[in-house]
Amino acid sequence: MKSVKMKGKNVEEATKAAVAVLGIDREKVEIKVITEGKAGMMGLIGGEEAEVEAIVKESGAEEAKQILQNILDKMGFMAMTEISSENGDNVVISIKGEDMGRIIGKSGSMLKSLETLINAMIWKFMGKRYHISIDAGGYKDKREQALQRLAADVADEVARTGESKAMPRLEPSDRRIVHLFLQEDGRVKTFSEGEGKDRKLIVAPKEV
Amino acid sequence: MKELVEYIAKYLVDKPEQVDVKEIDGDSLNVIEVKTAPEDSGKVIGREGRIANAIRTIVKAAAAKQQKKVNVEIITEDKQQGGV
Repeated sequence: MKSVKMKGKNVEEATKAAVAVLGIDREKVEIKVITEGKAGMMGLIGGEEAEVEAIVKESGAEEAKQILQNILDKMGFMAMTEISSENGDNVVISIKGEDMGRIIGKSGSMLKSLETLINAMIWKFMGKRYHISIDAGGYKDKREQALQRLAADVADEVARTGESKAMPRLEPSDRRIVHLFLQEDGRVKTFSEGEGKDRKLIVAPKEV
Repeated sequence: MKELVEYIAKYLVDKPEQVDVKEIDGDSLNVIEVKTAPEDSGKVIGREGRIANAIRTIVKAAAAKQQKKVNVEIITEDKQQGGV
């Protein structure tokens, strides 16, 4: 985190000086007062300068990107991170570089682990929850498209036979993709049942 | 590998100064031991061990890149007292 310490006649002056040094807006800076300072006799003798520390407030997205970059560096991967979308608390960070296969992991297991960690670390660090999603080499888009193709096949079958069909073993985020996608399909409805690992998504014919 | 675990653990706990990570070299397997303030161990383990498992997954992947095998163990209060 970037910060600077500055002294001044009083807290206000020290703050102004620190903000000027950082060269950014006052609202993007958190001010910690180190010493309040004292006015001297007739403003001349025995006075003590005020000192403040100005800390640049980063957004959750910026912090998350930096943390992910540090983790990848420490893991020994040659990779770069960037914020590919930021919408309130919903953030997508993309990883680019070599060794994408390892970074994605088997069925995205590494991406999922990185997400679990980054979300927990940011929650603790920023004091509020974010929803940070991590993508690498366009994996999430490809996976979404593959899931949608699978969902379309299942919907076709349900519409043809008139019998419900279960789609087991989907992650919660995968189920969400299928629910959203099949909402557009007038022939079927979807819902989930079961608990924990046994939870499955059901595609059923829409009653007419 | 030790720095990676230490970096993550320090973010998750209330008392980062009490995070102590050791890497013990073995013949076929290295063990990384994570010790925290007693009240912090749950934060590194997570609900149903989700955080600990995520740490294991990424440490294993990083180790595999160097043709190594590494296990991560989070030392809880019981183990500290029991001396296991």
